[in-house]
Amino acid sequence: MKKSIGDNMIPKEWGFERGLELVRRAGFDGIELWLGDVPWFQMTTTDAQVRELRRKVESAGLVVSNVSTGLHWATPLSARDPGVRAQAARIVERQIETAGLLGTDAILVVAGLVTEEVPYNEVYQRCVDALKPLGEKAARAGVKLGCENCNSEHRFLISPREFWQFLNDVNSPAVGIHLDVGNIHDTGFAEQWIEIHGPRITRIHLKDVLKHRGRSGDQSVYTNLFLGDNNWPAIRAAMTKVGYDGWLIAEMEARYRYARDQQFFDTAQAMDRLISGKL
Amino acid sequence: MVMGRREFLSCAAGALAVAVPNRRCASHSAAAVVLLDLAEHCSLRESMAGYALASAGLASHRPVVIVPAAVAIPPAAMHQITECLRAGGTVLLESGAGFAGESRFRAHRDAVQNGLQLRIERPRRKSRDIPYIDYVWPYATKIRDFSRVVPLPAQPGEIIARADGHPVALTRRVERGTLIYLGSPLGPALWAGDAEARQWLARLFSL
Repeated sequence: MKKSIGDNMIPKEWGFERGLELVRRAGFDGIELWLGDVPWFQMTTTDAQVRELRRKVESAGLVVSNVSTGLHWATPLSARDPGVRAQAARIVERQIETAGLLGTDAILVVAGLVTEEVPYNEVYQRCVDALKPLGEKAARAGVKLGCENCNSEHRFLISPREFWQFLNDVNSPAVGIHLDVGNIHDTGFAEQWIEIHGPRITRIHLKDVLKHRGRSGDQSVYTNLFLGDNNWPAIRAAMTKVGYDGWLIAEMEARYRYARDQQFFDTAQAMDRLISGKL
Repeated sequence: MVMGRREFLSCAAGALAVAVPNRRCASHSAAAVVLLDLAEHCSLRESMAGYALASAGLASHRPVVIVPAAVAIPPAAMHQITECLRAGGTVLLESGAGFAGESRFRAHRDAVQNGLQLRIERPRRKSRDIPYIDYVWPYATKIRDFSRVVPLPAQPGEIIARADGHPVALTRRVERGTLIYLGSPLGPALWAGDAEARQWLARLFSL
């Protein structure tokens, strides 16, 4: 397995190049690029500029592990407004395009957002309908589209079996799950999600979670690896059981008040321990 | 021309005059249900899909024309609507103006005003306190709203649904037929499998 971390963890004032240097020195193999969430990679970034990003990544001795985005929180595929949905689909298409330009084969999509206004049944059907054609586009580009389990945050596809059924309904070999082992909170156990989804897992996000705290407003329940309540030996064993040998991508909240670069080193070392199985 | 129980007619610009003879409703069998697809003038494709799904297998005693998520209504489609009303049929005209933007709303407002003497107000966002439209006809029920509604000012006809206390749907006798105008789309709820929405439609067909 290889280690990656998101470029949204890089302090904005550092810039991309300095951030890449830190990622490499900390011991990561790759970097996850967040479309729309960092100044250097926006929807308006041209193809030429994207190629330049790739050149910088490779010059730093890294590769791009995948293309993610947080844009779908404000522009969901499940919106009632057809205009918003069209823009959401365009974001996914740009992810697919840039994945090709960046030399990676996976993207992360937050598939839908259940709200007080847009109820579950609508969100489910809209996401299935949206992901079918997007899955075809991803397949043609040789890219895997991983829907992230954002459980409590998007109030959608809360259980692993429901997520499995959802992927069955989308019915595209290019559409799978980008599994975040920290997002399951108190609604289940990450190792069971890994077991159930196995070959459909496109990438794995790593972070730890403080269970039994709930999540209220902006009060985070996320923390660094091994500081929370995830059962890491069980998670590691489940990866072995299903034969997962792909990217592990740290998706921490940048919470170090001082020596912010230290979080990169601590995280990389914790990931090495997880990969080694010495827990 | 042989007509099936359910028909899907595309009313894209200019197509209707060729595809659909005049007085079509008058020549229908009693159980004909026609979905008028306004193509680019249908603002919510899922509404069209919802009515298609929900009306499958439903029978009506009189001709029914359903116009899902209408914004502008081309002359050929308006002709189809008025012919059906003249023939004693039921027209279910669903507004798609809520998300359509100012210019398309104006086109919708002008079409229903000029073609059906129906007056509507500018779309407004529905309050989130209670996410339902309160229907009182053909029976009392609550059905999921669709975020924005097209309110109706006082005018001839019977108010059949309200949102936040404001009228958003009415039924009116027009010639020998019945016009039903929905200012809050029902089609997306049908498409999403909403049980109350489907029951409402089924009850309408049974009248």
